[in-house]
Amino acid sequence: MRRFVPVLSLCASVAMAQESNTDVTGTLYAYANTTMPRADSVLNPGNRVALLTQEGVTLEERGNIKIETALSRFTARPIIALANTNDGTGAQQQHSIYMSQWQLQTHASDGITIALGREVLNWGAGQFRSPSSPFYFDNGRSNPMRELSGVDDIRSVWTLDMQHTFTLAYIVDSAQSQSQFQPDPWRRSWLVKYDQRGEDWLLGGIVAKPSTLPAFLGGHGQITLSDAFMLYGETGSSSQPIALITSNNVISAFSYQMPPPRRATTLLGLAYTVMDGDTLSAEYVHDNRGYTAAQEHSYFQQAALQPSIALALAPPLLGRDYLNLVWQSNILETSGNWRLMAAHNLTDGSNQFTCYGEKSITPLFSLFVLGLRNSGTAQQEFASLFSSSITLGVKVAIP
Amino acid sequence: MHTPCHLKLHRKMKLLLAVIVLINSSSVFAEPDVSAILAASDQARGGALPGIVWEIKLISRDGAKVEEPQRLAIKAINQSSVATTLEPIRFKGARLLQLDHAMWLTKPGLSKPIPISARQRMSGQASNGDIAATNYAADYVANISSTAMLDGELCYVLELTAKTKRSTYDRIRYWVSVKRGVGINAEFYSLSGKLLKSARFSYDNVIRYEGKIIPFISKMTITDALINAETTMEFSDVKVQKLSASEFDLGQLQ
Repeated sequence: MRRFVPVLSLCASVAMAQESNTDVTGTLYAYANTTMPRADSVLNPGNRVALLTQEGVTLEERGNIKIETALSRFTARPIIALANTNDGTGAQQQHSIYMSQWQLQTHASDGITIALGREVLNWGAGQFRSPSSPFYFDNGRSNPMRELSGVDDIRSVWTLDMQHTFTLAYIVDSAQSQSQFQPDPWRRSWLVKYDQRGEDWLLGGIVAKPSTLPAFLGGHGQITLSDAFMLYGETGSSSQPIALITSNNVISAFSYQMPPPRRATTLLGLAYTVMDGDTLSAEYVHDNRGYTAAQEHSYFQQAALQPSIALALAPPLLGRDYLNLVWQSNILETSGNWRLMAAHNLTDGSNQFTCYGEKSITPLFSLFVLGLRNSGTAQQEFASLFSSSITLGVKVAIP
Repeated sequence: MHTPCHLKLHRKMKLLLAVIVLINSSSVFAEPDVSAILAASDQARGGALPGIVWEIKLISRDGAKVEEPQRLAIKAINQSSVATTLEPIRFKGARLLQLDHAMWLTKPGLSKPIPISARQRMSGQASNGDIAATNYAADYVANISSTAMLDGELCYVLELTAKTKRSTYDRIRYWVSVKRGVGINAEFYSLSGKLLKSARFSYDNVIRYEGKIIPFISKMTITDALINAETTMEFSDVKVQKLSASEFDLGQLQ
């Protein structure tokens, strides 16, 4: 981020020097959260590894800044958060100020835009995971309320017409340096993406080349079958920097493969919209990077010896096959919305149930609740870290 | 008693009468160019232009309950539009992209756009197809069924039938003013022929395009035919403006 600050300041000054529209708004979040870590967790014994917040109160401001001129547009989403948390070792006060996204975009010529900034590079219609994006990051494991941060990039988009778009981007930093064990594979990488759209279908192809690994190859597509049905899919094939190799010998330490062979993840989904606008979605995910039932069993056996490594280097999904069901109220409804989700790990049989509800009380003031319930044993994926979590909060729109 | 002179005069009058009837009947029954009528009426509602921007204030009533007002900024080219929410404040920045008959929603903080189905597009009193530019000429097959007086104005009554199942409405009966060339009343029907909604249009705005001053829609009042509900959309700050295709790119919607 620091390297972009001078560019950011210069561009913002130029934008402001021209005739511009400036718009600053935001939303203030205040929420309390309680999480029940598993007392018998193998991956997180005594909550000493994951340091999950068991109780927390957070006050967070999520801003939206937009400065727009005829030729360029600057947008930013600064986040300021103050939190009082307790991970079981005592109360702690934390504060963070960061830019989750920002972008300076200019029209180089008709149909060509050049953008610099930090943006979330996600696409496709998948909800459970987004395998067609190499930059997809699941924040649900650490803090489901935390807003996703984007990757720092320089991007050029050539919109040939309303049907064809070609994107070329250089990723400076993907901010996915998750731990001391796992280097950021996408730092200094290239991305090429092509999208084509028909009247009722959309297809996209993605090639991303990290500096030290083989290329990521991905694709996504969706087709509207009728007023009510939509079929969609996403796939991605890549090689991770490092993979944990499990062993049947339960007293041995993990071994590693650097880099492991190319593996693919595929998601297939079907969405059905009922007459009042609620949508039911069913998604199936097959992830070749995950473990078979026997491998997952060995993983948990060996994790008892090396929980830190097991947690840090676990594949994004532990199992091979998943089913995800979503019931979403009409997303266009302005007075509130709700969502029910059930994810089932077909490899180990564990489940995760999630509900989210939001209700507007006044034009500026809304209440929300987020609940998670995991079922299974400590040696099954979804229930391996915590059994339940609930967050209650208010949102206040700042004009 | 008829004299030869009277007979001659009588024949002349009959001939004159026949010519008048012929002229009148040809002016009434000559088939006007229905495509041109529809295209002209579309232009007054944002269609067939290189790009247009405007603001909509939308107020809905469901029975006695008046819904929260909404204000939207629209950018549109023919079948494509982006509607950005300005009010209510808590939804400010939410954007609805429509490309032909496909639609996506994004909001600040959302990780990626959410596809919107045709059923969701039709939800609400003003379906999301109503807030975009109108391009009936491209979406519907039109026939003139009759002419009729509406509010003292002679109108062509057009019967519009959707070319594809993806159109917002299956069938529309559309009253287009003969004199002004703008649609002033519409009835929207389902495939089974059931009346769903009706709408009235006012044209107090004007736009300038290719040296012409074109009346432009200023108000649309949609009345639900099935329940006691009504939506009023007021259009303001209308400008014809060339818009780049990148304004409608899903990947740059965030």
